[in-house]
Amino acid sequence: MTVSHGGQTGRCASTALSADVVRRLDVLKVQSSPVSAMANITKKVSWSGRGEEGTPLLNGSEEVKYTRQLSGGGMFHIGRLSTVDLDEDITPEEDAVRSKPKEIPHNEKLLSLKYESLDYDNIENHLFLEEERRMGHMSFRCLEISRWVICGLIGVLTGLIACFIDIVVEKLAGVKYVVVKKSIDKNTEIGGMCISLILWAALNSAFVMVGAIIVAFFEPIAAGSGIPQIKCYLNGVKVPRVVRLKTLMVKVCGVICSVAGGLAVGKEGPMIHSGAVVAAGVSQGRSTSLKKDFKIFEYFRRDTEKRDFVSAGAAAGVSAAFGAPVGGVLFSLEEGASFWNQLLTWRIFFASMISTFTLNFVLSIYHKKTGELSSPGLINFGSFDLKSVKYNIYEIPLFIVMGAIGGLLGALFNVLNYWLTIFRIRYVHRPCLQVMEAMLVAAVTATVSFAMIYFSNDCQPLETQKSSEDYSLQGFCADGEYSAMATAFFNTPERSVRSLFHSPAGTYKLETLGCFTLVYFFLACWTYGLTVSAGVFIPSLLIGAAWGRLFGIMLPYIALNPSVFTDPGKYALMGAAAQLGGIVRMTLSLTVILVEATGNVTYGLPIMLVLMTAKIVGDYFIEGLYDVHIKLQSVPFLHWDAPATSHSLTAREVMSSPVTCFNRVEKVGTIVDVLSNTSTNHNGFPVIIQTAASEEPGKLCGLILRSQLIVLLKHKVFVERARSRLRQRKLQLKDFRDAYPRFPPIQSIHVSQDERECMMDLTEFMNPTPYTVPQDTSLPRVFKLFRALGLRHLVVVDDDNRVIGLVTRKDLARYHLGKHGLEELHLAHT
Amino acid sequence: MGGFTLCGRMLCWLLWGSPLALIGPLNLSVLAAEASQTKPPSFLFLPEKALDGLGYFSSLSLAAKFPEDLEITEDCLKLLLVFGQRYVDLVSCLVSSARPVEVCQNCYGAYSSFNETYSNITSDTMGPKNDSCQESLMHSDRLMLLYRLYSSLQTIWGSAECTSCLTKDHKGLLNSTLNFISSQNSTLSCFEKYKGNHSELCTECKVTYKRLNELYSNLEKNGSLCIDIEDAMNVTRRLWSKNFDCTVKREELVPVIAVSSFMLFLPVIFYLSNFLHSEQKKRKLIHPKRAKSNHSLMNIQDKFS
Repeated sequence: MTVSHGGQTGRCASTALSADVVRRLDVLKVQSSPVSAMANITKKVSWSGRGEEGTPLLNGSEEVKYTRQLSGGGMFHIGRLSTVDLDEDITPEEDAVRSKPKEIPHNEKLLSLKYESLDYDNIENHLFLEEERRMGHMSFRCLEISRWVICGLIGVLTGLIACFIDIVVEKLAGVKYVVVKKSIDKNTEIGGMCISLILWAALNSAFVMVGAIIVAFFEPIAAGSGIPQIKCYLNGVKVPRVVRLKTLMVKVCGVICSVAGGLAVGKEGPMIHSGAVVAAGVSQGRSTSLKKDFKIFEYFRRDTEKRDFVSAGAAAGVSAAFGAPVGGVLFSLEEGASFWNQLLTWRIFFASMISTFTLNFVLSIYHKKTGELSSPGLINFGSFDLKSVKYNIYEIPLFIVMGAIGGLLGALFNVLNYWLTIFRIRYVHRPCLQVMEAMLVAAVTATVSFAMIYFSNDCQPLETQKSSEDYSLQGFCADGEYSAMATAFFNTPERSVRSLFHSPAGTYKLETLGCFTLVYFFLACWTYGLTVSAGVFIPSLLIGAAWGRLFGIMLPYIALNPSVFTDPGKYALMGAAAQLGGIVRMTLSLTVILVEATGNVTYGLPIMLVLMTAKIVGDYFIEGLYDVHIKLQSVPFLHWDAPATSHSLTAREVMSSPVTCFNRVEKVGTIVDVLSNTSTNHNGFPVIIQTAASEEPGKLCGLILRSQLIVLLKHKVFVERARSRLRQRKLQLKDFRDAYPRFPPIQSIHVSQDERECMMDLTEFMNPTPYTVPQDTSLPRVFKLFRALGLRHLVVVDDDNRVIGLVTRKDLARYHLGKHGLEELHLAHT
Repeated sequence: MGGFTLCGRMLCWLLWGSPLALIGPLNLSVLAAEASQTKPPSFLFLPEKALDGLGYFSSLSLAAKFPEDLEITEDCLKLLLVFGQRYVDLVSCLVSSARPVEVCQNCYGAYSSFNETYSNITSDTMGPKNDSCQESLMHSDRLMLLYRLYSSLQTIWGSAECTSCLTKDHKGLLNSTLNFISSQNSTLSCFEKYKGNHSELCTECKVTYKRLNELYSNLEKNGSLCIDIEDAMNVTRRLWSKNFDCTVKREELVPVIAVSSFMLFLPVIFYLSNFLHSEQKKRKLIHPKRAKSNHSLMNIQDKFS
């Protein structure tokens, strides 16, 4: 394949898609567009307002293709594009069919128009090159330094947010547990346990209600762990509103409420999202939400730089959550490696380290041991001492068996959660219903926990040193003993995990662990996907640790020589790894995260084996939880490779065609009409040169983006006004940057009737060297190009450099390998 | 060279061995002394007999033959002797109050005088002949017996957490501790009184038992728990819960089950009503146009079949 850079100055023939044809077609489309879309057009959206969500234009895909049905089953020949008369093509019946768009229930085989690509590839137009040339060696060095400064800031802020979450959760949960414990202790004696039960359920629901309300009504994108969204962002998808300050606020408050509300959730996943938002905010040197511009870091105001910083932020988040700086870097690498820069790695590592250090330091001050840097993460697995660290060669097969169990349970978890999520998307979509659902889950969680504690007979002698920090319940145990079930349920999940890892053998009975695993499995599965911000890491670890410990306890009964399997804590760790691996299916990064969180390299091999087995077994049934949710959100996600059997497809079949093009010097009216067309909300337009009277499509000479055109229209850069503009200053790259990232919608730009007749010269602003491929390029090649370079538009040209099609992310993402071979996803409004 | 060091080391061993051998015979005398006097002997007050014994043994030992090499002075030897005696005092006290645990109440005196002796040895005051006993007694060999003996007792004392029951100068028990002990005694005497009828015991002794529990949890909050109190509490609790079976019984099965099942029933209603009444969210499909109209899923599958 020759990736020829466009911009040949060959003369182009006049295109079939001449401006007035386009307009005629547009009229048709507008008539047939759904009423809701029409309503949206009239919505006035201000320059700095909630741009993307308000406008269907920027919201939509970059390439909604002309839906022309060809009459009589006539073959559509690209070469004869010009001969097709559009008006005759569209028969009335077909138009009527299309005017009622097909509606189907939501499923996972859709691609949403809501998502766009990031412009990761720099637009190397004249302005850009001019600016780069102006910059000396020194300024590049300054840029490099400011990148480091930003990474440091990202680390510090992420660490501080982690501290804040940790401390507030601890306080709130502490108050809640003390209140409930008092009530239970009192009512155990005098009767009226129901009151305690209702009190507990009410407290949980109240916390969760606050969390769910802020998420459901203010920022729905903050729901869940945020890892799927960040994964998409790093993959190159612009998820609307995902890296905004408001999202961060809602996320932090939401996660505090949901963890304090006793849901089966953790605060680790949201940390990663928070880190990413911090990174996206800090690197821009301004906040669009607060309308505050610090006039710094202006160079970084574009998708390329922002995405790089977001990957650093995600890494810092992981590192703060687990105390795993290397794991953080590898997480960013694993999830965002589509376009990775080696130079970036070191910077990201720096950000991660700073974030762990900050968390450490602030927590050490909080715990009044200033300067003691020994509690590196939000979740601390505690150190595994030398005695229990030991594992023997004969235990490896056991670990692998545990990995397989983890894979099976993880797959079951994902399948159940998949069905639940589909149900939620289809039926529980109104915010008030979502809040109610979350409250119900909280109440049921409390009820089930209470019932388990009430009916449990597992009593263990109390240790004086521990009792003050854990909220141990006596329940119906003898005085001086505590209920083992209560330590598992009546505690924040992090503490329960630690207790399962480190409690000496005999702390938990078989039936306690069995019941706990079963109940918690379903609770966690039910909880994930609620409209609250919450992660799935800790619940998975907890489920895994419980059945792992169960496994460890049962071993001596089966083994010939029971004395070898004395320490169930080790098996709890492996079970936790297996369960987490089976649910999220991360590989390299998860291994390193777990190794770092346990602070023990010795466990590297068994953890790796366990995770491998879990992934292999789990992948046989269903994808990882995050991938399931990405699919259910209809995101055009590009996986590591093109589908295995897609070699027979070529660019000609993949591309969208015909393409809306602009001339190098285009009439303003045409541009405005094309941009305002709701049904064809393209984002990139090839710029062509037409030969005077030729009937052929024009030759490619550049590519221009919607955002650029909007800025041009706003500044009224018209040929006729060139003379007056000379007096004013020339349009600079800064003008484009100032509008980034929330470009105003076309409706907010007023173009008078006179101005419509003006002409606009795009030469200076278009990207004169877009990537192009010949039409016979295979899909995997196109895919590789997309993924490696982070492209947004790829122009397909014929032998004479004439534009015949355009490939975008959605064209590629719609192919996926299903059960019956290669399947194609549908595009849909969501 | 090697031979010399070996010889030196052997010499040291012998030198060390002799005073320590004293502890054996001393044991008896100290025990006897303890029986007669409740107050542990102070540093200055040494039984004459012991000093005689010292003279006797030292004349016999190898060290006497090499007066120049004598690393250990008379004073240090005396200190060593005292140390041994105090050690024996403390250990015998600990052992005798092992069960039920009354270590802190009984042995704090012995412990503080033992500590005092050790600090006398380790303090860096120079003797009359300008040598320090710390050097000769503590750091002369790899066994470091004194240190080990001391630290083992220190560990025991530390894990018993006796310091939290004692006054700051370690001269007596805290008032709260005494209070607790008397309260426990009254509880036990109550138990004794109603031993025959368990149900009566459960009702009659409840007040005192509760008071004891409260005291205990207060002490726990203040961090003034030591092994004596913990053990006393444990014993009392076990008597109360296990022997007399006075724990609370589950009596509210029905209401708890009712409330729980009501709670569990709510989500079912919620989801069912949503399923039946909420309108299903539909997605509007968009038909993208490709260059070839015959390109479709069917087409792809044809290629593979």
